[in-house]
Amino acid sequence: MSVGWRYFLRRILVSVVLLWVLSVITFAIYFTIPQEPAAFLVDPQHSTPAMIAKARHRLGVDRPITTQYAKFVWRALHGDFGVAYEGLSFNANDELVGTHVGSQVIRAAAVTGWLALGGVVLVIVLAIPAAMLAASRAGSWLDKTLLAVTLIGISTHPIVIGVVLQTFAGNRWHIAPPSGYCGLTGQTANFSSPFDNNPVLCGGFRDWASHMVLPWITFALFFIALYLRIVRVRLLDVLGSDYIRAARAKGASEARVLRRHALPNTILPVITMLAMDIGTAVGIAVYVETVYRLPGLGRLTLGAISGEQGFDLPVIIAVVMVVGAAIILLNLLADALLAVADPTIETRGARRAQAAGRVI
Amino acid sequence: MPTVEAAAAVVPGRPVGAWTIAWRRLRRDKIALASAGILSLIVFAAFAGGPIAAKLLGHGPDDLFPYAQHSLKPVGPWTQVPDTSIIESLVPDAPPPKNVGTTLFVLGADGPLGRDELLRVLYGGRVSLEVAFGAAFLAILIGVTLGLVAAYFGGFVDSVISRFIDLVMAFPLLLFLVMVGYTVAGDKFARITVHGVFPQGVVSLVLIIGLFTWFYPARIVRSQVISLRHQAFVEAATSTGASDSWIIRKHLVPHVLPTLLVWGSIAAATNIMLEAGVTFLGAGIRIPTASWGTLLSSTWGTVANPTGYDPTTFSAWPTLLPTVAIFVTVLAFNQLGESMRSVLDPKAVR
Repeated sequence: MSVGWRYFLRRILVSVVLLWVLSVITFAIYFTIPQEPAAFLVDPQHSTPAMIAKARHRLGVDRPITTQYAKFVWRALHGDFGVAYEGLSFNANDELVGTHVGSQVIRAAAVTGWLALGGVVLVIVLAIPAAMLAASRAGSWLDKTLLAVTLIGISTHPIVIGVVLQTFAGNRWHIAPPSGYCGLTGQTANFSSPFDNNPVLCGGFRDWASHMVLPWITFALFFIALYLRIVRVRLLDVLGSDYIRAARAKGASEARVLRRHALPNTILPVITMLAMDIGTAVGIAVYVETVYRLPGLGRLTLGAISGEQGFDLPVIIAVVMVVGAAIILLNLLADALLAVADPTIETRGARRAQAAGRVI
Repeated sequence: MPTVEAAAAVVPGRPVGAWTIAWRRLRRDKIALASAGILSLIVFAAFAGGPIAAKLLGHGPDDLFPYAQHSLKPVGPWTQVPDTSIIESLVPDAPPPKNVGTTLFVLGADGPLGRDELLRVLYGGRVSLEVAFGAAFLAILIGVTLGLVAAYFGGFVDSVISRFIDLVMAFPLLLFLVMVGYTVAGDKFARITVHGVFPQGVVSLVLIIGLFTWFYPARIVRSQVISLRHQAFVEAATSTGASDSWIIRKHLVPHVLPTLLVWGSIAAATNIMLEAGVTFLGAGIRIPTASWGTLLSSTWGTVANPTGYDPTTFSAWPTLLPTVAIFVTVLAFNQLGESMRSVLDPKAVR
């Protein structure tokens, strides 16, 4: 096995351990806070201690924390994250019925995933050409204006961008629906306000895309500004190197130098950076989902934390595990991509390890 | 007559320190100076300006004035408001009681509750800046310590600390901030004020943001020190018998300090955004304490109560002021960080 493979095998093993520690910490945090999960099932004020004890027993929260954790891990390994506390009830046969956390999280993750995917496409399509434009005319008025605009972009709060877009483009000018979500396939009930009793049924590609337009723009604006700056600096760096001088010397046009010689060396680090920025992206997605009422992971978590009866531990831990896994996986993918495309990365890694007095 | 000064001026190559060079460059950078000036102004306004303005105007940031709104719409800038906290009758928009003076609302009121917007922006700035500086400082303190120790001692220590950094990096930052803010920090830590030095909620927010963002400076310091560790000047110091703590303090810390300054400036900007965001999501500073986050969310609603755009109560001023305050401060911190990066870069030719 080559050094590269062993390195990645090691990274994967470490990732599994990281996920495990993440679950332990989340479990521990939420067991240090006093709460009564039975409140989701019975009204503590109007029920006998026996009823509460029965509810606790059926939820499995009367067992020691270690047993509960072991059961959680066993179930999670089989792809089962249990049943959400919210909306639990006994049916006629005295069985527990409720929403499965797994399907809930998958549905929410799809919304967040579409949001992020569309946003990333926008970033790549807009930030890179704009950065090329700025870099090819470095120091010009166009360059300075673009830089000033990006500085404004990274200094404006995503919530502010979201609310301004929603107020003007959505509520005033009716360019796109101001809030809500429509499923890509099938029909979704769309409530325009919490007190709305007549939801509008919508679904299909057109409805879905029109509801995602404003969220995509909001999500992308911050990253477009950020990446325009990063790609521009990187391009300027590359444009000063010898091989570019050689390309110019042999008579390649400036456009060709930029597209065929400089860009390929810029784009890969940008893609890996996009993968590594997923932590930030999740944060911005939470803001966007809140402003536009998209039923994504952010809103699912917020609902699970701020519920009236207490927090919905099965949902919270499932979201943390899914998002944590996504972050770790994408970081790993970014490293792998970089290693495959850049043959010097392996030796560099080895040298760094040697300098730190460590042997791979 | 050739003077001593003239003779001194032609002596070539008097060595100048890196900090002197950086300072000279910074003085020539007009945008950096402007950012620093604006920031000092904002810090002064937030920490000293709030109490001074409250003294001059004669009312505080949390005082309610029922006559500072007309049918739930707050009054505009530069309005004299009846100086009373009592409503004469239950009829809305009844005339104010007789024989009360008036008090000046420089930038108008903040909403249906009728508090002074200017004072709230100033006092809120203090809270937001305390969170921004405090959390950045805490993150640098933890990050530098762990990063230095990991890089300098290497081996097993480095492995443990690096895995720890990986772990904290894998946390979905904002989700965790909100989760911890809602629960742990919600009841116990939010009341910590260190004998009234800090407003409520500041200490807990500093702790959570600091404890979840220290891995950035830790990574920066670790990678820098690893590349410095085997350079000749460190080996020379080792060979003259310098102790570990001497080498770290005198040879390594001065090298990482510029990078940390840059990071600290940009982190302060990010922390201001985070405070506003976490507060908007309902897990940060609690009302009635004023912060730029609570001001922002009081006009645009929070998760629990998203108001969005409501033409009956909407007023441009209370929406605009905290937005502009956050924007200008974040912009200045970002620009200062950028300028410092180019000024402190020894490779940059100027």
